[in-house]
Amino acid sequence: MKVAVVGKGGSGKTTTSAIVARTLGRHGLAVVALDCDTNPNLGISLGIGEVETDRLVSMRENLDEGEEQHAPGWNDLIARFGTDGPDGVRLAVVTRIENPEPG
Amino acid sequence: MRVAFVGKGGAGKSAIAGTFTRVLARSGRPVLALDSDPMPGLAFSLGLPLSDAAIPDDAVEERAEGEEGPRFRLRAGMSAAEAVERYAQEGPDGVRFLQFGKLRGHQSSLMRSQFAFRQIVKDLPEDRWDVVGDLPGGPRQAAFGWAPYARTYLLVVEPMTKSLLTGRRIARVAARMDPPPVVVAVANRVRKPGDVERVGEATGLQVVGAVPWDEELAEAERRMLAPIDHAPGSPAVHAIESLVNELVGERC
Repeated sequence: MKVAVVGKGGSGKTTTSAIVARTLGRHGLAVVALDCDTNPNLGISLGIGEVETDRLVSMRENLDEGEEQHAPGWNDLIARFGTDGPDGVRLAVVTRIENPEPG
Repeated sequence: MRVAFVGKGGAGKSAIAGTFTRVLARSGRPVLALDSDPMPGLAFSLGLPLSDAAIPDDAVEERAEGEEGPRFRLRAGMSAAEAVERYAQEGPDGVRFLQFGKLRGHQSSLMRSQFAFRQIVKDLPEDRWDVVGDLPGGPRQAAFGWAPYARTYLLVVEPMTKSLLTGRRIARVAARMDPPPVVVAVANRVRKPGDVERVGEATGLQVVGAVPWDEELAEAERRMLAPIDHAPGSPAVHAIESLVNELVGERC
């Protein structure tokens, strides 16, 4: 299963994503939750906490500074830019705040 | 006054910005409302009919080879002030409303109108209008300088974890800007004792306004009416009036 959750700001995308991911995890599925938002908050709703969420965000920002190398493939990306959350859900932050598209 | 409303998606930026703009306009000042969100929002809260109308492509020309600056600039002979006169819609209470257009599925690109918008808001004459900007949710547009007109960022924050975290991110981005705008917080959907203090503590910012949770604002949205038209006497609208009074006279 591969799903993307979309909608207006504040409509509940992040909360919905987190509950779906954790519910799948509780059913014994291997789940990867990708935070593709330029304001990445999925870690909060998954229950991973602010400190760890912001650590993942700053790792992505360090890509800009050249202090962090890009991942060559999806498995490396999830390994390096991810963290293990409750119910076996693996969270990876795959976006940066500094993306020049508007909106 | 030159302010920009920023904050998390759904924090209530547009509802507050639209009402703020109307209150300011009713005090007799010429006000320009700037919408840099490619999704609809501010027009509703101002009481304008929803419009996707973009600044037309011929507002800009491509720069000649070797000319300094962004790829497109306003066409020869048109100043930012003239572009506002030409392209800003007129709204209730004499408000002027400028947007670069809205994203629609079939639309090829808003690229040219976005170049026009960005130059207009950068080159606005200093004293002709009070300026109220409404940015999309999150820190991205702040990071890319979409509100160069703003002396003050009004950060709309709900007393909720993600909203507070987003607020801190935006404040961090703003502090890196040159020159950095003043950033102050507006607590929104305040329901419980301690909510306003929580916003102040978690953002480290001065809280200049507190807008209470107000079912009338939700009802205004359901009816597609501006809050100030649907519920002029509601607690939330009163709180926004107080916010305007607080800031008029300050150099915001």
